[in-house]
Amino acid sequence: MPCLGIFVVLAKWKAYNEVKLLLGDVAMEVKIAIKELCLYSSIRYPDIEINAGEIVFLSGPSGCGKSSLLRACNGTLTPTRGQIYLDGTDIVSINPVQLRRRVLLAGQNPYLFRSSIRGNFSQFFSYRDETAPTDEVMTELLTLCQAPFPLDGPCDSLSGGERQRVFLALALSMAPDVLLLDEPHSAMDSALADTVLSNLLTYARQRGMTVIVISHDEALRDKHADRIIRLEGKP
Amino acid sequence: MNGAADISLIHFLLIYLLLLIILAVMKHCQVNQTRLLLVASLRMTVQLVIAGFILTYIFQHPQPLFTSAYILLMILFATHRVLSKNKWLNSRFRLTILASLALAVLPVLAYFLLAVVRQDLFNPQYAIPLSGMMFGNAMTGLNLGLKTFKESMDSERLQIETLQNFGVQPKKILMPFINQSLETALFPTLNSMVGMGIVSLPGMMTGQILSGTLPTTAILYQIAIMIACCTVVSLSVFGALYLGYRTLYNDRAQMNWQNAKP
Repeated sequence: MPCLGIFVVLAKWKAYNEVKLLLGDVAMEVKIAIKELCLYSSIRYPDIEINAGEIVFLSGPSGCGKSSLLRACNGTLTPTRGQIYLDGTDIVSINPVQLRRRVLLAGQNPYLFRSSIRGNFSQFFSYRDETAPTDEVMTELLTLCQAPFPLDGPCDSLSGGERQRVFLALALSMAPDVLLLDEPHSAMDSALADTVLSNLLTYARQRGMTVIVISHDEALRDKHADRIIRLEGKP
Repeated sequence: MNGAADISLIHFLLIYLLLLIILAVMKHCQVNQTRLLLVASLRMTVQLVIAGFILTYIFQHPQPLFTSAYILLMILFATHRVLSKNKWLNSRFRLTILASLALAVLPVLAYFLLAVVRQDLFNPQYAIPLSGMMFGNAMTGLNLGLKTFKESMDSERLQIETLQNFGVQPKKILMPFINQSLETALFPTLNSMVGMGIVSLPGMMTGQILSGTLPTTAILYQIAIMIACCTVVSLSVFGALYLGYRTLYNDRAQMNWQNAKP
């Protein structure tokens, strides 16, 4: 019987280690993998792996294909060659609309409808046939993005930087697996951009959201990135 | 009632003197469309003279084949006019327009001839002028609808891109543009219906009255043709846009309407 007890203890220890190993694998799970990618027949990319929950900043000279890479990742641009995998599945085999909901791209120029902030949340979610978040959630996300404006306030009167922050709150509210941000702070000063990015990325980390950011601000990249990927843009 | 008075060729030519007034206005306002005015006048004259001879021949020798051929020619010409003004359309969208024009006009024409006027489907005296009016209106409606569609998409490009990036179905993105364009396309026809009889006596009615038809009969034709034209405009624009918008994105739901090639 003592032998049996030792066997049970050993079995439990082995199972514990397997679970630990498994958890470790999940934490290091590759979210996006880019292989032999070529866009517009001329822009070639190195093979890239981005882990789940990782915050990656892209840098590189103008025209090296940073924005195009984000578009390729959310399926609005088809590569000339190569593959992009999301959770191990080639994105070509994922329904493109579902892919864009999982890998959401907030573009360089924010778009807001000509209505109130609440109206914007309602319209964007209505377009996706989804229910808009509650006022509390909207307010929380707007505050997080340093846009604590009244929900009934018109978006038309907002400045460029304010619109950008409301737009970021909107993108966050859609809770994608991967959030792609193309120069999300272009209309903000450095201090404000730092606060917004800090809040936004903390929020993303807490929820295990993978974020890929294009930023020309070296200080912000160094401060907030888990990893910086430099694209050379050379064939 | 008497038929329309004959116009002698000499007296008819006097009408061209009015073009000089248009030229004077253009010159005064520095509108550089003199060439277009002359070309348009010349083309209209030549085309109508040819049409007059052909129609005279067809009316004297009524054959289903001639009527069908004439209507087919009108379909192709109307499509060509629409396409030449909307060069941004891709080849599949172009086919959609051809199909929409034909499928909108032909059934309404058949209904008009068989049920309302109770004439033979291929009676050229009815089928050709009626289909001409329908194609003309459909052509104007399509031009207006497609122009509005393109311009509104161009001006809201950022909205379209953002919604696409946020995972919205292309159909859902484009539908408001389609609805707006359909409304714009219908507006002139509806507007002319509102003013008809008070502001203007329309061409068909004027023609019938000049040729001796009783005004009470002429208005029946006019009302019928206006409703038929409105139906044709709505059907052709609806068909073209609702079928055509699907050609503006590929199977990866990527939209492209700006670099479309014929």
